[in-house]
Amino acid sequence: MIARCAAVFGFNEYSQQIARHVRHVYQDFTLFVMTKEEERAACEAGFLVELVDLGDDWSRIEEHFDVKSLIVFCALANDSENVFLTISLRAQFEKLNIIALAQDNESASKMKSAGANKVLPSLQIAANVISDMLEKPIVTKVLHDVLYQDGLLNIVEIEVPRHSVFVGKHLHDIHFKSEYDVILLAIVDHEMGTTFSFASKGHNHHIDPHDVFVVIGYQDKLDALKQAVKRKHD
Amino acid sequence: MLGRWIVAFAFFIHSSPLYRNVKNTTYNFLENSNYPYKKYFDLTMIALIMLSVYILIRQVKYEMSLSWLFFNNYIISLIFLVEYLLRLWVYSDSTKVIIDQYEHDLFLHRPFSLRKSMKAIFKHKLEFIFSPAAIIDLLAIMPFFHEFRLLRVFILFRVLKLFRYAKSLRRLISILASKKFELLTLALFAMIIITVSSVLIYVMEAHNPASKITTLFDAVYWSVVTIFTVGYGDFVPVTHEGRVVAMVIIVSGIAVISFATSIIVSAFTEKLDEIKEEKVIDDVSKLENFYLICGYSSLSHEVIHRLKKIFKHIVILEKDPLKAKEAQSEGFIVINADPSSLHTYHTTNIQFEEQVIAVILLEDSDVANVYTALTIREINKKVPLYSILHHHENRKKLSLAGIDEMVNPHQLVGLMSQRISHQPIAYDVIHALRLGHGGTVIEEIILDSGMSKRFFELLLHPLFHQRLSMLGIYQNSTQTFAFNPQPSYEIQAGDVAIVVANKALSYEFRDLLHRKKMK
Repeated sequence: MIARCAAVFGFNEYSQQIARHVRHVYQDFTLFVMTKEEERAACEAGFLVELVDLGDDWSRIEEHFDVKSLIVFCALANDSENVFLTISLRAQFEKLNIIALAQDNESASKMKSAGANKVLPSLQIAANVISDMLEKPIVTKVLHDVLYQDGLLNIVEIEVPRHSVFVGKHLHDIHFKSEYDVILLAIVDHEMGTTFSFASKGHNHHIDPHDVFVVIGYQDKLDALKQAVKRKHD
Repeated sequence: MLGRWIVAFAFFIHSSPLYRNVKNTTYNFLENSNYPYKKYFDLTMIALIMLSVYILIRQVKYEMSLSWLFFNNYIISLIFLVEYLLRLWVYSDSTKVIIDQYEHDLFLHRPFSLRKSMKAIFKHKLEFIFSPAAIIDLLAIMPFFHEFRLLRVFILFRVLKLFRYAKSLRRLISILASKKFELLTLALFAMIIITVSSVLIYVMEAHNPASKITTLFDAVYWSVVTIFTVGYGDFVPVTHEGRVVAMVIIVSGIAVISFATSIIVSAFTEKLDEIKEEKVIDDVSKLENFYLICGYSSLSHEVIHRLKKIFKHIVILEKDPLKAKEAQSEGFIVINADPSSLHTYHTTNIQFEEQVIAVILLEDSDVANVYTALTIREINKKVPLYSILHHHENRKKLSLAGIDEMVNPHQLVGLMSQRISHQPIAYDVIHALRLGHGGTVIEEIILDSGMSKRFFELLLHPLFHQRLSMLGIYQNSTQTFAFNPQPSYEIQAGDVAIVVANKALSYEFRDLLHRKKMK
C-alpha cells in the first residue's frame, strides 16, 4: 500500500533534512521529539511536533495515523536509542514501513535486525558519494540530477498490472529504447524472486503480473510508457 | 679599480641564466636529496668507492694490472677531486656576497670594500673545508699521491664517503650526534679511567720481572683491552696491586659499555618517530599520483577503503598524533602534521601540480576545512578541492575558500529519504550500480571525435546488444547530457558516454571502441 502519512522521530540535522524533504510529499506529516527543548526548537523551525519518549504507549500512533499507510523515519542522534526505537515500533506494528538512520554499517546491521525495512548508513553514504565524485564525476552528477533534482529526466518504478498487454511477453520483445525512448535498468521478476535483476544481465524475462520495471527517461516518455503498460489485452 | 671590475663581473655572473642553471643543477646532483636524478649520481659514487676498496684488498696478495691501478689512483681520485671542488663551489654564493657588500657600501656612501667581501667569501669556504664531511672527502683524494705508500691507507677514507651517499648512514650519524654531549662525557670518563689505570699498572708492574707489561704503551694497551671487556690475555698483571687495578678497571669497563649502550638505544628510541616520519615523507615524494586526505576520521576511513578498491594511492595529513597512529595501524600512509599549516607542505615537499590528483578535506569542522582550503589555495590554485560540509549554511564560505565540490551528508540523507520512501526499488538499483554489486557497474567512457559511427555500430554488436545499456552522452563543452542519443548524434572530443553493463563487458566495449579496426 502506498504510504500517505509520514512520521520522523528525532530532532537533529539529519531528521530536519529528512523532514524538509518528505513533509510536502505526504498528506499527513508529524515530527516526534524526545525532549521539551527539542519540541521548542522544532516548533521554532516550523514543524508540527509531538513529544514522545521511548517508553511510551505506542497506541498513540495508531490513534493518530492509519498504520497501513504510514512510513516512519527513525532518525534519533544516538544509534543505540535509534535501535531501541526501531525495535519498539516493530514490536508494536508488524507491517509498519520503517526507514532507520544509522551512523555506520555496524549500526546499520543492528537496525536491520531490529526490524527496519531500509537503513541509511550516513557515513557510508557520504563516503560513497565522495569517492564517486572523485572517480566518476559525470556519472555522479547525472545520477544526482536523475535522483534528486526536479529535472525532466527521472527514474521510476512501473508495476505491470494483472491484465496489461505486457503480460505474457518476453523482455526482449519490448523495445524500450527505440519505441518508448526510455532505458530499462532493472526488473523485479516475481518468478525469479523478490529482488531486482539488472536488464543488462541479458536475461529474456517472461513478464508476469506485478513485475516491476525500473526505467529511466524523460518524464513525458515515462508517462507514455506507464499508459502503455496500463493498457489491457483486447 | 680592481674592486669595480670584480663587482661588474659578479653582477654579470649573478644575472647569467646559464651560470645559475649550471650551479643549480650541480647543487641538485650533489646536495638536493629530492632531486630525482641524484640517486644515479650517488650510486655511481658508491660503485667507485666499492671498486677502490676492492682494488686495495686485491692488491695485498695479487698483482693488479697497471690500467686498474691507474684507474684507481688517478681516475677515481680525479673524480673525487672534481666532486670536492664542485661541493666547495656550490657551498656558498660568492657573487651574492660581493653584490651584497657592494650594495651595503653604496647605501652608506662608502667606497666598496673588496677586503671585507673576500673575507666573507673565505669564511664561508673555510666553513666547508673544515666540516667533517669535507675533511673525509679531502682524505679520500689522498691516494692520488700513491707514491707515498702510507697515503694508500687513506683509501679507506673513501669508505667513510659512503655517509654522503647513503641516507640511512646519514640518519645514523644524526641520531648519534643528538647524543653528542652524553657520548663525549662518557668518552672523557673512559679516557680518565684508561689514563689513570695505565699509569697505575705501569707503576705497579713495570719493575716486576715476571710481568710482561714493561712499557707505558703495554700498560695503555692492556687498559684499553680490559676496559672494553675484551681481555685477550696476552698481558696480565702479576702483582697484587696490579690485580686490584685490574678489578677496578673491569668494573668501570662494564659501566662504560652499559652506559654507551643505553645512550645509543635511547637516542634511537627518541628518534624513532622522527625516522619513521622521514621515511613516510620519502615514500610520499616517490609517489607519482595520489589523493591527499586532510583529517582522519571514520569518514576518512570509509573514503580510503573505497578509493583503495580502485588501487589509488592515498596520503593522509593528520595533526592529532593519536589519530595519526590509529591511521598508521590501519596500514595507511600518514604524515602527522597540521594540514592547515604552510610549514607542513614545505617540509613534506608535496608537489600539488605533479603529484596530487585531488585534495579531500575531511576534518571535523567547517572552520578547519576552510582554513586548510585557504592554505592549500595559497600554494596551488588549480588542484581540485573536495570537502565535507558539516553545516548547510556554511556552503558559501567553503566555496569562497576555493573548495570546488562539497558533500553535505545531512542533505544527502534527506534527499535519499524522499526517494527511498517513494521508490525503494529504483533507489536500490542506483545504489547497487554505484557500488557495483552483482558485477553490474555504471561506467564513464571517454569518447573522441569521429567515433560516432563505430560507437553506435558497436552498441548493436551481438555481444553488447541487450547486455550493455548506454544511458547517454555527456557533452563536456556544453556540460549537457544527451539521454539515449540517436545514431545521428555527432560525438565530439572529450564527450563521455555513460554505460551500464557487467564490468568485464564494459571493459571489452571500451577496448573494442578504441581499437582502430574492429574485428
